Amino acid sequence: MTSADSHETRQVMIRLEKLTKHYPGQQRNAVDGLDLDINEGEIVVLVGPSGCGKTTTMKMINRIIEPTSGRIILNGEDVTRTDADQLRRRIGYVIQQTGLFPHMTIGENVATVPKLLGWDKSRTDARVDELLNMVNMDPEIFRHRYPKQLSGGQQQRIGVARALGGDPTVLLMDEPFGAIDPITRDRLQNEFLRVQSEVRKTIVFVTHDIDEAIKMGDRIAIFKEGSQLAQYDTPEQILTAPADDFVAEFIGRGASLKRLNLSYVGDIDPRPWPTVSVSTSIAEARETLRNAAESALIVVDEAGRPHSWVSPEELNRAGEGSSLKEIGQTPRAIVEPRATLSDALNELIAARYAVTLVVDDTGKLQGVVDIEQINDSIRSMRASAVTEARASLGGEP
Amino acid sequence: MSFLEFLETRSSDMVELGLEHAAVVGLSVLLATIIGVTLGVATYQRARARGMVLAITGAILTIPSFALFILLLGPLGLGWPPTVVALTLYGLMPVVRNTITGLRGVDPAVLEAAKGMGLNRRQRLLRIELPLAWPVIITGVRVTTLVLLGITAIAAIINGPGYGEFIFTGLARVGTPVAVNLVLAGALGVMILAVLFDILFYTVRKLTTSKGIQ
Ligand SMILES: Nc1ncnc2c1ncn2[C@@H]1O[C@H](COP(=O)(O)OP(=O)(O)OP(=O)(O)O)[C@@H](O)[C@H]1O
Ligand SMILES: [Mg+2]
Repeated sequence: MTSADSHETRQVMIRLEKLTKHYPGQQRNAVDGLDLDINEGEIVVLVGPSGCGKTTTMKMINRIIEPTSGRIILNGEDVTRTDADQLRRRIGYVIQQTGLFPHMTIGENVATVPKLLGWDKSRTDARVDELLNMVNMDPEIFRHRYPKQLSGGQQQRIGVARALGGDPTVLLMDEPFGAIDPITRDRLQNEFLRVQSEVRKTIVFVTHDIDEAIKMGDRIAIFKEGSQLAQYDTPEQILTAPADDFVAEFIGRGASLKRLNLSYVGDIDPRPWPTVSVSTSIAEARETLRNAAESALIVVDEAGRPHSWVSPEELNRAGEGSSLKEIGQTPRAIVEPRATLSDALNELIAARYAVTLVVDDTGKLQGVVDIEQINDSIRSMRASAVTEARASLGGEP
Repeated sequence: MSFLEFLETRSSDMVELGLEHAAVVGLSVLLATIIGVTLGVATYQRARARGMVLAITGAILTIPSFALFILLLGPLGLGWPPTVVALTLYGLMPVVRNTITGLRGVDPAVLEAAKGMGLNRRQRLLRIELPLAWPVIITGVRVTTLVLLGITAIAAIINGPGYGEFIFTGLARVGTPVAVNLVLAGALGVMILAVLFDILFYTVRKLTTSKGIQ
């Protein structure tokens, strides 16, 4: 079964029918007769050049912008003319500037929609704690803080937690990670994908960054000017078979490298590597390394987390009385299973021993990934993409 | 008689006039705040209405207080009523202006988020906009208070309450030794009240403004 088939069998959560927005005083429609189906539980990314109408399209779904014509069907119900405030309580909303309420604590911010929905205090409090934990913010530490006491990345996490407050079925996100430095953005993206794997919301995600679109999207809608859909498909298909020159140009060069963003470290089996515990004696460590094919050892702490790399030179230099705790080099190239192969490759290029350490969610060492494994993965991806493209050719009448 | 001796002999008058002065200013500030904030809330989103309300309340401030008190004498008589009405009118401008400034200064992203969460117009105003504008509004109220403390001294010409009585009695006896003491005592009283009100506003502002925006 191809991914396209599986989408058709899923239930449509948001249906846009001939959706049109004309701003007064503008010559052309900002959004012009857009038809778009978004399935339950998927992340659809709207992407396209600046001014093509992504934000306008998204904001019509919760009627922050009222459509000029057309219909919005939410879970089978026409919501084009229903009470907008009621509608918005069912739809989470995250914006780039976060828009946290500065005079309210983090806890009060996250409790906004539960309070509007009239939940009692204990249910609201429990929900706030649950959401703060979900976005990796310890409730004990952050519940009573104010937004200004948080970093930009933390504020954006709270923005997401607040949007999930009333357990909406749909989440709208307008460039949520747009104003954040690349490293933090990457972490937030990974974290958000982890959250999504738990909550399974239907998500409309706006960005103008094709790499972000490829990473976040189950399906990507590439817009041209005036919200004309250039292509609406899975990231794999868009990268393999761009619908036209516009899409190909928009993806830019390096489509194969971009495909690395579509596979995760968790999809490949990490290779084992000789490992010793910090409590091991220097002599034993030398013995282990002598019997290994590799040129260095990974030292792990009591909890199994990577502590350091030790080389033969370092082991030889160390006196008999010294401990593995004190020698060696802190490992830098470490990734989690949710990291993409692109992340792993990046780390690997800069790494000392041409491998990236893979750790699980608790930080425990799982093994290593090397360039050979990444290469294999690229080859198999290309093969399956070609098969799929062939199949879609053959399927046409 | 030295100024200190004068204060000692008239100390009960000082206190009584001070309480009156504070009471009439307090009442007028309260009325000006209620009316001013209402006007600000009603007009801040519309440019024409906003401009008009600022122009009118600003124009009121340019009427000489002497003239306004005397004009109100006809319809409202002597004493408290014309005083309170005149002071309330004078007090509107700083409150209206700061209410409008404060409400318009709220971050549009915060407002959009509030809308997106499903807060209706009223909830947005009461839970988001007014609390965020509050520090600016209360600064306007403080300015109003200082302006009114001074103007109240003039209200004595229509038998209004407060330290103006000392000042105008002094004026009537210019040339006599007691005149200077009377005027000085009146001015000192107003200054002490100004300091006390300032402390009060500082405290109220601290207590009523969220720690998140201090
Ligand atoms: N309030 C408005 N009034 C008039 N025109 C508007 C308004 N908002 C947007 N537009 C116009 O509508 C078009 C689409 O705007 P929109 O904000 O949806 O673009 P976008 O795809 O989100 O762009 P970006 O990537 O820059 O955020 C643009 O040409 C823009 O100038
Ligand atoms: Mg936009």
